[in-house]
Parts: sequence; structure tokens; C-alpha cells
Amino acid sequence: MTLKGALAAMTGLALAACAGEAGKAREPATLAAGTGEAARLAAACSGCHAGPGAEIASLEGRSAGDIRAMLGAYKSERGGTTVMHRLSRGYTDTEIEAISTYLATQAEGG
Amino acid sequence: MTCGLTRRQFAAGLSATAAATAAPPAFAQAAPRIVVVGGGFGGATAARFAKQLMPRADVTLVERSLPYMACPFSNLVIAGLRDIGAQAFRLERIQARGVRLVADTARDIDPARRTVSLAGGGELSYDRLILSPGIDLRWGALEGYEAGAETAMPHAWKAGEQTRRLRRQLEDMEDGGLVVMSAPAAPYRCPPGPYERASLIAHYLRTQKPRSKLILLDAKNEFSKMALFQAAWAEHYPDHLEWRAARDDGRVSRVDPGSMKLETDFESFSADVANIIPPQKAAAIAGRAGVADATGWCPVDATRFESTLQPNIHVIGDAAIAAPMPKSAFSANLQGKLCAMQVVRLLSGLEAEATALANTCYSYVTPQGAVSIADVYRNDGGTFESVEGAGGVSPVEAPGDVRRAEAREAEAWFAAITTEAFG
Ligand SMILES: Cc1cc2nc3c(=O)[nH]c(=O)nc-3n(C[C@H](O)[C@H](O)[C@H](O)COP(=O)(O)OP(=O)(O)OC[C@H]3O[C@@H](n4cnc5c(N)ncnc54)[C@H](O)[C@@H]3O)c2cc1C
Repeated sequence: MTLKGALAAMTGLALAACAGEAGKAREPATLAAGTGEAARLAAACSGCHAGPGAEIASLEGRSAGDIRAMLGAYKSERGGTTVMHRLSRGYTDTEIEAISTYLATQAEGG
Repeated sequence: MTCGLTRRQFAAGLSATAAATAAPPAFAQAAPRIVVVGGGFGGATAARFAKQLMPRADVTLVERSLPYMACPFSNLVIAGLRDIGAQAFRLERIQARGVRLVADTARDIDPARRTVSLAGGGELSYDRLILSPGIDLRWGALEGYEAGAETAMPHAWKAGEQTRRLRRQLEDMEDGGLVVMSAPAAPYRCPPGPYERASLIAHYLRTQKPRSKLILLDAKNEFSKMALFQAAWAEHYPDHLEWRAARDDGRVSRVDPGSMKLETDFESFSADVANIIPPQKAAAIAGRAGVADATGWCPVDATRFESTLQPNIHVIGDAAIAAPMPKSAFSANLQGKLCAMQVVRLLSGLEAEATALANTCYSYVTPQGAVSIADVYRNDGGTFESVEGAGGVSPVEAPGDVRRAEAREAEAWFAAITTEAFG
């Protein structure tokens, strides 16, 4: 998927997710999960993505597949100018998978 | 007790101490006690996440100076582009999340007894202590720049009164005046900070006081995002900003606040406004705790963020030696989250585990244009290492919309990180 395609898909999904998930309360994660590998890897994301999400995309309501596609597109796109192009190259595909799944779980009704 | 510590907070602190002497620190029975010193980007984040991850823990945050004044974006204040009120953060929201806030100065730390004594009296006991006290200036390390010199020659490297002072001095300066800045050798807080500041002051001079000029004297020959800054300076401020490398006699060897003179080996500059960014070290409390080494900074195990000099004391943020991670708010915030995770793991009998870390720092080169640096690191094996093939800076050759997009991202970053750290 191209970056533009991934972005468009994410926007569409975010809208759908907002309608369905908004009211759901999230169970507090167990300590082991909250400090596990995926949580540690994903800790870097909220430094920029904890905001309302205009200039920097919000991660709320994103599916794992969407986040994975997005990060994969950043990682493989040569000549990209954003910080995400430079950052995503530092993670293995397995790590990107773990981050995507973790963020999607966090965003569920969060 | 002084400084706004309430009677109830004080009583809670005392009973925590009493409990500590009565029972051994067996975390299985009693609520684990986590004390955090410093309510800035590192400490406020660590306290919040520790409590969130381990609700039964007794988490106390000690901060001496409220509201907290954030340094990121304070260069915009100095250039007259932002209100200083936008830099102030209260820590009440953290209290609402169950963290006990103690508005006092941590005066001393006893690693053997695991206690923090407070300037206002009283003592806090900890099972694990997290220090994120930021920096102190090394008064006298630059000849003539002793405590008190910052009145005539502000550093503005801690935000607040100093930021306002430098702004006022620039405003009061006549058109045609000379502004001189002095940048230190590494390591110091915010590697690109002096160059962002120079850019924004040059913008102010060009647009408001066009016959004036800024000379940036440097103790280094190279600096963060150098090619990007230099390209922006050539494009926007060719007549208003001159950078002098150490090799071109740029290193300031002496200052005299009385006569407003800065001296290099061979030259003397008479400044109308002088901004001295002096050499720095971990804030004093790190020395009291015995976690700072001969460099003045704090060596840590990179995986646990635990001091290599004192057990049960973790150090994060500017005070820690985490190179190649820079001393940035982004790094301090991320280290705060990861350190909280490792601390609650250790308190729960789990091992600390390694991870990948990242940093992103934006710098304004014009009021609407910014450049960035980003990197990924790993902390296995007890040290921080950059990941090969990742990271880097914005493209040097880029259309204006790339710079404008990064300026808008910078603003969104500030909103996000301050929300996560303080509210
Ligand atoms: C001009 C400038 C621009 C910057 N721009 C950026 C930027 O754009 N992006 C970025 O990522 N970073 C930036 N930074 C860097 C950033 O401000 C620091 O890296 C960050 O504040 C470090 O966080 P910290 O928690 O280590 O220390 P601090 O944020 O300084 O917090 C330490 C706190 O501890 C308190 N304290 C210290 N000792 C005691 C004690 N004994 N008892 C009680 N409290 C105590 C202090 O009062 C302070 O509030 C900039 C810095 C400057 C100077």
C-alpha cells in the first residue's frame, strides 16, 4: 500500500471506529502486559501522538492492520521527508507488528 | 512545613516514614513506595505512569518550583512570538491521578536508609527512587560567569524569570545594537537549542531592529542539524547572524558582566545584550545522592535506568548519561515512561527488559519553518546504542512546505507531550 492509500484507509476507519467504540470502558491492563515488550516499544509513540490529532495523526480507533500498513509504507518509502520515515527504519517488521497490535488494543474504546 | 505542602500531605509523608522503620521493605505485604524528585518532563511522566501501572503503589512527586516552566518553545518567547504563560504547567492533574505531590525541595538523600529529606522538614522513605532533577549551571566554569552574572548576562537555559529577562533586554536594546551569544561544549541540555534561539533572535532583529546584529560564539566546530541551520541562516539572516566556530577563535574564554564584555583568545566583544549558555551538570541533588560521577552527570544502566553508583536510585532526563540519546524533553518523557515500567517490574519481582527507544526534536529556523532530527536507539547490554540505518535530519534541499509542515508538527508535538507529562 502506498502512504497516501494507507492514510486514506486510516481516515476512513477512524471515522467508523469513532462511531462504534466511543462509549466502551477499557479494562486496566495487567502490570506484565502494561510493561511488556510491545508496551515498551510503543512508549515512544505517545510522545507525539497523545494529542488531539490534527497535524500529527491520532492513533485512536486505528486497527492493527492500518497502523502496520502505515508504518510499513513509511519504512519502505525512499526519499520521504518526515520524522516517521526516519524513525520507522529503526524497527524490525516483527517489532512493527507488535507495536501495531498494541496500539490498536490501547485505542479500543480508550 | 512551607511551600504549600498541606497538613494532610505532611502527615501522609510522616506515616510512610513510620511504616518504613516499623516493617522491612517487603513489597509483597506493604504498598511499594516510589518517590520521584523533579516534576519536569522526566519526573512528572514517570510519576504518572508508575501510579497508572501499579495503582496500589504509594507514588510521591517532589517538585520545588511550581508552576513548572517548560523550556521547549521558550526561544519563541524570547523572540516575542509567544506568551510566557504558554510555558507554565501546574501539576494538579497528576495529583488527581493519585500521585501525591509534595511542593518542596529535596534537600538530601540517604541511599543506605533509602530516605529523602525535605527542606521544609520531614522525610520520605522509598523502595525505589527516581531522580529527574534536570541541570544546574556550572558557575565559574566560564571565567567571570559566577552566580549573579545572569542578571546582566542571562542564560535563559532554565525557563521562567530568565526567559523574560532576556526578552526584555532584547526589547530595550536600541536598533543598531550588538547581541552576543555564547554556546558551550557538549554535553549540555538541548543540543540544537542555542541555534534555534540564534535563528529566532535573528528573525526579531531583521524584522524589528534591522541595523542590529547577532554574533554566536561557539566552543564547538560542529553542532546538531548544522547544515540545516546554516542553510536557513544564509537564506534568511545573511546580514543579521554570524556564527563563529571554535577553530575561528569562537570559544569564549572570559566574560565580564560589569562591562558587558566577552573575550575569546584573541578578541573582545562589547555586547548590548549578552546571552551566555554556560557549561552544565546534573542538578545538585544528584551529587547529594551520590549518583553523579566526576563528569558531573549520572551514569546509569541503560536497561533499568538505575544508577551504577547507588542501588534503588534511578536517574532519567538531562541529569543522566544516556548518550547518544540527547538531553531533550522527548528523551526525558520517554525515559520517564520506560523507567516507570522497569521500576514497577522490579518491585513486582519481574526482570527489567531491554527495548528500542526513540527521540525526535524539532527546531524553528523561522517563525513558520522548522527542521527536525530523529533517531532510534537500543538499550540492551546496559548501554545506549544508535540503530544503524535509522534516524537522521530533515532534507537540506527541501521546498518551503516541508519546513512549514515540520513547524506545524512541532506545535502538535508540544501539545501532545505536555498533555502526556502534565495533564
Ligand atoms: C531553550 C531550550 C529549548 C528547548 N527545546 C526543546 C525542544 O524543542 N524539544 C525537546 O525535546 N527538548 C527541548 N529542550 C530540552 C528540555 O527542556 C529538557 O531536556 C527537559 O526539560 C529535561 O527534562 P528533565 O525532567 O530532565 O528536567 P527538567 O524539565 O528541568 O525538570 C527538573 C525539575 O526538577 C526540579 N528539581 C531539581 N532539583 C530539585 C530538588 N532538589 N527538589 C525538588 N525539585 C527539584 C526542578 O525545579 C525542575 O522542575 C529545550 C531546552 C532549552 C533550554
